[in-house]
Amino acid sequence: MKMIRAIVRPEKTSVILSELLDAGFPAATKIDVVGRGKQRGIKIGNVHYDELPKAMLMMVVNDEDKEDILKIIIKNAKTGSEGSFGDGKIFVTTVEDVYTISSGESVL
Amino acid sequence: MKEIISVIRINKMNETKKVLSQAGYPSMTAKKVSGRGKKMSNIEVLSNLIDNGDLNTFEHQVVESITEKDRMLPKIMFMMVVADEDVENIVQLIIETNQTGSMGDGKIFVCDVDEAIRVRTSEHELDAI
Repeated sequence: MKMIRAIVRPEKTSVILSELLDAGFPAATKIDVVGRGKQRGIKIGNVHYDELPKAMLMMVVNDEDKEDILKIIIKNAKTGSEGSFGDGKIFVTTVEDVYTISSGESVL
Repeated sequence: MKEIISVIRINKMNETKKVLSQAGYPSMTAKKVSGRGKKMSNIEVLSNLIDNGDLNTFEHQVVESITEKDRMLPKIMFMMVVADEDVENIVQLIIETNQTGSMGDGKIFVCDVDEAIRVRTSEHELDAI
């Protein structure tokens, strides 16, 4: 299983989550975070902001669903057709074990 | 070392903390998050209930709020990094404490951790946790 952590613009979360739901991937966790990227934040006038508010979407999925989910997130997290700085990053890591608490079973 | 990330009900937080620290695993990080799982409310059943008048006004509002399709519910994300041999035990403790048997109890994820460093002393790996 894979854990997908996508850091995206907060205003894009609702469209990403509803697209994922329509595609049959309802399970997700949303965390509010602040961060900066390669552009070192943004500078407006004389003020430099490097703790930009972002949302982190965390999902743990089966290996075969990973590509579909990444495509959906990338498609919907982009701003404009080309995308722009600050649209975010997606990280994928391996999850060794999953347990569902309500049943106590080791299934997703 | 393994990282145990679990998403649990908010009202189970204190009990989980207590049980884990009594069992000798006091260190943890927790964060308020919002999330949804794969099981959606069965809107048809609930709307039948509303239409048949089996629910009073207050319950109507409750039902409305839980049937909204992509509602995110508040949860606690609970993270701890532990030695490999403790994983089994901790997972069992978390399951026992948080299990109510109905959906929404949460999930536990176990991931591998390559390195851990204690900032104060620069100790590495197991010495650091």
